[in-house]
Amino acid sequence: MTLSPGLHAFLGQLINGLTVGSFYALIALGYTMVYGVLSMVNFAHGDIFMVGAYCGLFTIGRLQSIGYLETNPVLAIVVTFVVGMLGASLTGVLVERLAYRPVRRAGRLAALISAIGASIILQESVRLVPTIFKAILDIKIGSHNLFPDAFISGLLNLAKDFGGSAAKTYPAILGTGGFTLAGVFISYGRVLIVVLSLIIMLALYLLVQYTRIGRAMRAVSEDKDTASLMGVNVNRTISTTFFIGSALAGIAGVMVGLFYLQIRVDMGFVPGIKAFTSAVLGGIGNIPGAMLGGYILGLVEVLSVQVLPAVYKDVVAFVILILTLIFMPNGLLGNRKFLKKL
Amino acid sequence: MTMIQNFIAVYARKRWLKWVVLALLAAALLAMPLLPIPQKNLWVRILGYAGLYILLGLGLLIHVGFAGMLDLGFAAYYGIGAYTYALLASRQFDIHLPFWVMLLVGGLVAALAGALISIPVLRLRGDYLAIVTLGFGEITRLLLLNLKGLTNGSQGVIGIDKPVLFGVVFNTGTHFYYLIFLLILLFTFLTNRLIQSRIGRAWLAIREDEDVAEMSGVNTIWYKLLAFVLGAFIGGLGGVVFASWQGSIFPDNFNLLVSINVLCLIILGGLGNQYGVIVGALALIALPDMLRGFSDFRMLIFGLLLVVMMILKPNGFLPRVPPRLEKAADGKIKPQEDRA
Repeated sequence: MTLSPGLHAFLGQLINGLTVGSFYALIALGYTMVYGVLSMVNFAHGDIFMVGAYCGLFTIGRLQSIGYLETNPVLAIVVTFVVGMLGASLTGVLVERLAYRPVRRAGRLAALISAIGASIILQESVRLVPTIFKAILDIKIGSHNLFPDAFISGLLNLAKDFGGSAAKTYPAILGTGGFTLAGVFISYGRVLIVVLSLIIMLALYLLVQYTRIGRAMRAVSEDKDTASLMGVNVNRTISTTFFIGSALAGIAGVMVGLFYLQIRVDMGFVPGIKAFTSAVLGGIGNIPGAMLGGYILGLVEVLSVQVLPAVYKDVVAFVILILTLIFMPNGLLGNRKFLKKL
Repeated sequence: MTMIQNFIAVYARKRWLKWVVLALLAAALLAMPLLPIPQKNLWVRILGYAGLYILLGLGLLIHVGFAGMLDLGFAAYYGIGAYTYALLASRQFDIHLPFWVMLLVGGLVAALAGALISIPVLRLRGDYLAIVTLGFGEITRLLLLNLKGLTNGSQGVIGIDKPVLFGVVFNTGTHFYYLIFLLILLFTFLTNRLIQSRIGRAWLAIREDEDVAEMSGVNTIWYKLLAFVLGAFIGGLGGVVFASWQGSIFPDNFNLLVSINVLCLIILGGLGNQYGVIVGALALIALPDMLRGFSDFRMLIFGLLLVVMMILKPNGFLPRVPPRLEKAADGKIKPQEDRA
């Protein structure tokens, strides 16, 4: 079967859009869940995604240096995902505990500004990891180092493997292999990303709908005070929401690293804004809406590249955000109850 | 510490003391470039740069501090003002309009941009407004970067004209130092008058509770639009000064970091207080320049400051002093007492 060149290119872009949309959807879920329970935009969410990517890179780098990545690549990738996920989760819970909980009663402006601060702190911490380690390890007592030399150089190398100003590169393990379907080449990497994302999102949906903690999350998002009177531990539920939302961002971070290879400390900003756009497009506070919004944005974005110069890709996302907020502020699947909180 | 607190308590009560302190500060700042100080040029530059940020802070203060609209795209107005001047008074198109006219035009073009962005977003509040303005700021930067035929892209606009006044060409930092000083005086005075006026009261009402303000007969849409336009005007004007001082500008001069810096300084100083802006700008812009050794940690310290300030002192170092009538309404003082 042969396809016309136009349709061929279109299908290729469709696959691309699904891949990008998976990233957006995974990150958007974190925004939407946090907005659900706290009615605030977690400005640092894009940076939590970045921390996930860096934790994943550090892990896969270690596994590669001990040769484990070659001998058992599947398990190595699983471990990378788990560490990236946990790193992001713990960061998310910490950010909530230290930067959001103390200002919860101080008003919206205070919460948002604290979130901007948290975002800057996360980016700068990852960037400065080697510098900070060097400053601590260089502490001298008299003319002697406080720490033994071998320890210093070992730890410094670890710190340099983790963070720093320069862009870092994931090992190219997804490879270029793939298969051809109806004349369109589909790489295994893309299949892995899309399928894994869909499985995770299904799991999240089931968790929120059918488990005890999911019920608690829905209750808190409905009404914090009433939920608390019904015996829901509100603070613990909020922490759990941050844990799960950040875990999804961490997985997206590792995926982006494996797929695009290069990661930077400011990598979270643009995907963060786009994921937020997705969450708003789908209806903020609505979990299936965030997934839908992510895929729609991914597809619109890759299709826009067919019409406009590629440099305007980011402008398209911002324009969609602004148009959604003006004409459809409760989004595609949005719940009216969140509108009153705007 | 108690001495400082006592001083502040007296300072708040005695109005003449306020003027004495301000006059002394102004005299010191005015005399500074004329005195023989080591590394004077560096100091003039640092303080002039801090002054530029004070100007921007006064603009953003109208958005965030007075009207309570969190604007994360303030760099856009700054950039629009700067590029308006740069394109109409440089070698780029070989147009050379006079600086003093362009100071106004740059402000007006930025104000127009502020009106255009604000019309669709005026119905939004809080977080949504913040994200939309952030998007607007980024769109502006991306357009400056990519409309290469007009802005020369990342190569920037170079060879921008210097201001000329009575035949004197502004070619040293000291000239700009005095220009910025005068503009700060002018706009501190104007915003001070504005906040005490009917407009200012409407803004504060919107900031405290938009629904109640609307029900009390405040035309919230109109006053929010006015706040957007006036704030953007000051931002654009700052951009014109920046472009003429630097002589060359690039899209990256107007990135998100600028918006966040300006936001930090008005929050640090205390939202809704013009004098707080001055304290905040000196602390945030001048201090890191003096502590060159810590420049690596500058942003990290910014971030920590934001979070810690929000937890400990969400109203800033110099919180807004409520106008007399508002104090009277709270029952804290009787109106008659205050007049004596």
